[in-house]
Amino acid sequence: MSSTTTQSGLSRARRGVAPGGSGAVPGKRKSKLSAQATRTFFWLLLPSVVLLVLIHGYPLIYAAVQATHDGDLLQTGNFVGGQNFATVLTSPAFWKAAQFTLWFTIVGVFGSWLVGLGLALLLRTRIPGRNTFKVLLLLPWVVPIVVSSTAWNWLVATPDSLIPSLFRNLGMGTPLFLADPTLASVTVMVFKVWVSFPFMMMMISAALASVDTTVYEAASMDGASRWQQFTQITLPLIARSTYISWILMTIFCVNDFPTIYLLTGGGPVNATTSLVVLAYRTVFQDFATGPGVAIAFLMTMTLVVISVILYRQIRKSSVE
Amino acid sequence: MSAVLHAHPESGPALGIDAGKRRRVLSEAGQRGRWWRFAAILIITGIVLVPIMVTVLLAFTPGPNSTATGLTFENLGNVFSKTLAATWLKNSLVTTLSTVVVSVAVAAPAGYVLSRGRSKAVSGYSLLLFVMQSLPIITSVVPLFILFAGMGLVDNLLGLTIIYVGSTMTVATWMMAAYFDSIPISLEEASWIDGCSVFGSFTKVVLRNSLPGVLSTAIFAFLLAWNDYLVAIVFLRSNEIFTLPMGVQSFFQQNATDWTSVMALAVVMMLPPVIVFATLNKYFSVGGIGGSLAGR
Repeated sequence: MSSTTTQSGLSRARRGVAPGGSGAVPGKRKSKLSAQATRTFFWLLLPSVVLLVLIHGYPLIYAAVQATHDGDLLQTGNFVGGQNFATVLTSPAFWKAAQFTLWFTIVGVFGSWLVGLGLALLLRTRIPGRNTFKVLLLLPWVVPIVVSSTAWNWLVATPDSLIPSLFRNLGMGTPLFLADPTLASVTVMVFKVWVSFPFMMMMISAALASVDTTVYEAASMDGASRWQQFTQITLPLIARSTYISWILMTIFCVNDFPTIYLLTGGGPVNATTSLVVLAYRTVFQDFATGPGVAIAFLMTMTLVVISVILYRQIRKSSVE
Repeated sequence: MSAVLHAHPESGPALGIDAGKRRRVLSEAGQRGRWWRFAAILIITGIVLVPIMVTVLLAFTPGPNSTATGLTFENLGNVFSKTLAATWLKNSLVTTLSTVVVSVAVAAPAGYVLSRGRSKAVSGYSLLLFVMQSLPIITSVVPLFILFAGMGLVDNLLGLTIIYVGSTMTVATWMMAAYFDSIPISLEEASWIDGCSVFGSFTKVVLRNSLPGVLSTAIFAFLLAWNDYLVAIVFLRSNEIFTLPMGVQSFFQQNATDWTSVMALAVVMMLPPVIVFATLNKYFSVGGIGGSLAGR
């Protein structure tokens, strides 16, 4: 298929080998060109570097300063060493939030992956209006969280909302989706899956589209069952995409703020307080800047380590 | 290939071949299965879209004090006459569009360097961008709040835009780089031989052929800036500086029982991203960095 030639052409371009052979350019001109290229590259990269330092670099360093001082939102305050970290690490609220973040992430990643995979596989088959469904199912990802959380609030917030009434009429009691701690956690996670599954569906659909289908014909001639074809062919072929989508969804879930905050505000009784929500509330509601930034800083350090490792892994798997 | 794919997720000649072959083998059973699958996907889509349908329906339902019957535009009119909705909409549009323009302008050249440069420094920068995008924005928000407070950029749309550009540029750069990877370097080499400078070949040859890549990057920046809530809630204080997410949220908190008006405002906020998505969904790359990671 033409895609394979594109692929090899692409990876050659990536390695810097031109299809026509780069030897066509005379040596002298080439070195002049590469000096010019280095200079141009520098100027092209400069705005990006300046912004990165201003918006990401500086705050990160200043956050380290704040996390070790007892200041507030207006001044830095005095150096207190690791005291803020000690406060945070010994507080039960931190560990409770860490635990919720962990569950939220696990359910968010695998829940949305399973739903996305199921729908991607279904939409891959011949169905009338397939493309319309594909577009419609992406809407939860496109609609702003502020809007969808308002709609979810209308659906579940009070005992008289649509869904609790539905349960009542079916004789299943009146579940308090946002008032009961356990149920509120579940509701927030379901909401997160609802928001995120289109992302997974899209990633998996793209991966499935590039699978050469003659493999399946060969497999069914050899007597492989549907399930065998799925586990032995489909899953390995979309493994790389799956891996990348898990990594990204993990980052999205750990860093998520609006999905949780807009639906429950972190309540009831802190049952749905994630680390980001806790950091936000510590800084902007309790005005304890030091401990709040310390929480954010602990998350940041964890994520830096994780993302560097994962980045290496992705790079390795793309070279193979 | 995936780089091209993520810009055109619908493309996939493989699907057509697959369906064709299978139809020949089991046409009758296939036909029946087809309608079962259609029913299944119809029901699933219906359930998934309930919250969105509810929003739209309520927005056009007459309010509690209304004399109108059937569907009405009354709520929309009320929202615009009784709240600052028009101002919020304008604020959101200004912030978002500036973010889109500036982040593409910053990301395109940087992405080009990432795609064509092969030095240690360039790949180090690529790693740095990946790490930065994975960090929680809450960490930088507090220090930036203090920095911006000293510069008068708190409760200010320019301040908001700067942060949005900063937080979109990492992924935007990756997306542009992934797209540039799909443009053969031989095009530039030809222009170099014709005496074109590196910068000239970037703007005249590469950028001119990159409209799909630019569009998907722009859509990504648009959605991120339009939908942001965390930065807005920290940096915006006064009613007339609010962007739509803050407007919708504050209106919702003050009028929690007036659902038809709340939903009318929600529809105002939902419309621009849905329009962008509906018209440009060919270029819509849900993956953002996902698509670019898969492509590179």
